[in-house]
Amino acid sequence: MRLFVNVLLSGVAQGMVFAAIALGLVLISRATGVINFAQGAMAMFTTFLAYTLLEHGIGYWPAFVATLAIGFVFGGLVERTLMRPLQGKSPLNAVIVTIGLLVVLEGLAGSIWGNTSRGFPAAFSQQGLAIGTTRVAFSTFDVFTVGAVVVLVAAIVALFRWTNLGLRMRAGAFAPEVARLLGVRVGRLFTLGWALACAAGSLAGLLVAPVSSFSPYYMDLYLIYGFVAAVLGGLVSPVGALVGGLVTGLATAFVGGYLGSNLEPMAALVLLLIVLMARPQGLFGTAIARRV
Amino acid sequence: MRRRGRRPVLYRSWVAVGAASVVLLAACGAGVGWTSGAGAASTTGVTKSSITIGATVPLTGPAAPGYSEIAPAMDAVFKWVNAHGGVYGRKIKYIYLNDKYDPSTTAKLTRKLVLTDHIFADVGSLGTPTDLAIQKYLHAEKVPHLFIESGCNCWSTSKYPEELGWQPPYTTDGKILGMYIKTHFPGKKIGELYQDTEFGKDFMKGIQMEVPASAIVSKQSYDVTTLAGAMTTQMAALQAAGAQVVAMATIPAATALAMLPAYAIGYTPQYVVDNVGADAPTVGPLLSSFTQLATKTSSKAAAAPGLLNGVITNIYMPAESTATNPWIKVEKAILEKYTTTTVWKKHGLDGNTEYGVALGYTFVQALQAAGKNLTRTSLMHALDTKAKSFHTPGLVPLRYSTKVHYGYMGSEVVQETTAAGTFKTPAGTWPSTKVLSPVYTTTTGRGPVKKYTGKVPSVPKALAKLAG
Repeated sequence: MRLFVNVLLSGVAQGMVFAAIALGLVLISRATGVINFAQGAMAMFTTFLAYTLLEHGIGYWPAFVATLAIGFVFGGLVERTLMRPLQGKSPLNAVIVTIGLLVVLEGLAGSIWGNTSRGFPAAFSQQGLAIGTTRVAFSTFDVFTVGAVVVLVAAIVALFRWTNLGLRMRAGAFAPEVARLLGVRVGRLFTLGWALACAAGSLAGLLVAPVSSFSPYYMDLYLIYGFVAAVLGGLVSPVGALVGGLVTGLATAFVGGYLGSNLEPMAALVLLLIVLMARPQGLFGTAIARRV
Repeated sequence: MRRRGRRPVLYRSWVAVGAASVVLLAACGAGVGWTSGAGAASTTGVTKSSITIGATVPLTGPAAPGYSEIAPAMDAVFKWVNAHGGVYGRKIKYIYLNDKYDPSTTAKLTRKLVLTDHIFADVGSLGTPTDLAIQKYLHAEKVPHLFIESGCNCWSTSKYPEELGWQPPYTTDGKILGMYIKTHFPGKKIGELYQDTEFGKDFMKGIQMEVPASAIVSKQSYDVTTLAGAMTTQMAALQAAGAQVVAMATIPAATALAMLPAYAIGYTPQYVVDNVGADAPTVGPLLSSFTQLATKTSSKAAAAPGLLNGVITNIYMPAESTATNPWIKVEKAILEKYTTTTVWKKHGLDGNTEYGVALGYTFVQALQAAGKNLTRTSLMHALDTKAKSFHTPGLVPLRYSTKVHYGYMGSEVVQETTAAGTFKTPAGTWPSTKVLSPVYTTTTGRGPVKKYTGKVPSVPKALAKLAG
């Protein structure tokens, strides 16, 4: 029973982090049709910037906000400088550029901050909450993780659904030419999509760092799980990313807890396979109808 | 007509060039023959004034943390030697390349070292899968494959006579710690957490030779290639099984990623960790996030003596915390004076830099023992016959012989505890080491764990002078 509860709770906390990464992938994919392989590396880089800010004695919360802002600007810059020239060319070009960016950022981070793993501070205590006399695998920091990701997803959903900007973003993603003809500056919206995605990535980076060995490579595996989560959710919907993250987190945790942790990555991929076979558009996707 | 007239001229000029090159080649050949005749080496990688050696190590990538310090620390020893005239007048040139712990890269870079850099020997290449990937090649090229940085039970085989391990084989670590568990925690429930490679399996083989099977209640493992986040599920499973003692064969990052979630769920077993993953200054910084809250202090936390306090492990060299130990003094002096990288400033003397210095010094001793006429054969012969009398920092002498190609085969059980005081490195303040057992030696097979009663190798005078 105790094992079940602990596995369940750690799955939820883990799943939320996957969701944050998936959200970044979804935002870029739905805006520009590109899978950003540098999502994890960009998050890693901004988290290292946060680390530097903290080292200089800047308080956690100012650093936290600054990092999200840096992520936002960074994402926009990447779109403007690296991705924009590739627009209208084969999608493969864009994919290869993001892989290149991944390699460059990891190398750069290694040469600036070194390749050693280190600890990264958490916003709240990481000691499990006490229920009666026993502690469970869910800490105040995990509560914060869940809250932060849920708030972020809600904010993005609200942006898309209830604001004029969100409507234009959806229009720009759905039919760029038509939107352009109607006076929507689609290029700017692409930039915004990348900026939001990278800010979401920065949040994920800050949430993952304290529970992993923080080094230039710490996001690599998380990106894979995030990708699984994003595809599960259908690669188009923020809520899909959230649910996809949760399902991936729980599936890997239960497989790890009861069948052996070596099977965790395989569990994620088997899950991916099942969903792609049964529902190729993902749990929340509707892309098939449009693709015809 | 013209063409006909020209052809013989062309042919003649080619013949002339050919003849000239034959003469030149002959001259070169004579030159080489002459030098070797005069007593200097004709061995690859060795000249009158230099010895070129190489290695492949992870300088970046997931295995780099900690391990990337070893080769620069080795190089510090060579720089010290070179600054004092080298070994028999030959200065040591050490080329270490970054294989990122990827066996296919190791294979490629090793070919470069052999074919382009013409190394005399491969010294201190790191890792089990990586070194397994090059053993056949180095054997075919007859390049000595020395002091492999891995405790796999696979380096002492007649199939590859030029291959030598260095650190204790993991099975001997497991047997010595297993014996300690058996005698000091009788009746307790034992759990296992191990890396799912030769490292973890060899270690647990040793544990299982000593600890009765009925006492082991749970066996958990992790895959090092997918090691990313906290190992909550494994620790929760060990807790649920009621394990009171957890034996671990984990790399430093994995030790941290195991202790963190255990602490979070209020699980505090007695940890018994193989020396590979127990070095406090290496593991500690990874734990620091848990001991201090970001909102209260900066991230440069004073590490985690709390979590590491009480960990039982084994050591085969003097503990870094014993500042008065003459070997420790010497190691610090070498690192401080001869590391050009930031290794000393960032890490000081930790388990990795100590390892590098000791391994580098082992090679220097081997060169001295091989004598003035250095060849691959003379070096291997010196290691097979004279290594037992080398002065290296091990708690036991090196074990090399014509039959055994493992280095240190013994260690002592220690506890990292603040009760013994603390010591500082640039990375933080750590619990000092308390000795729990005499030095034991054993074999990788079923042989008994025996108390070592021989001498502990002392510091040679030339080195002692360095520490002042």
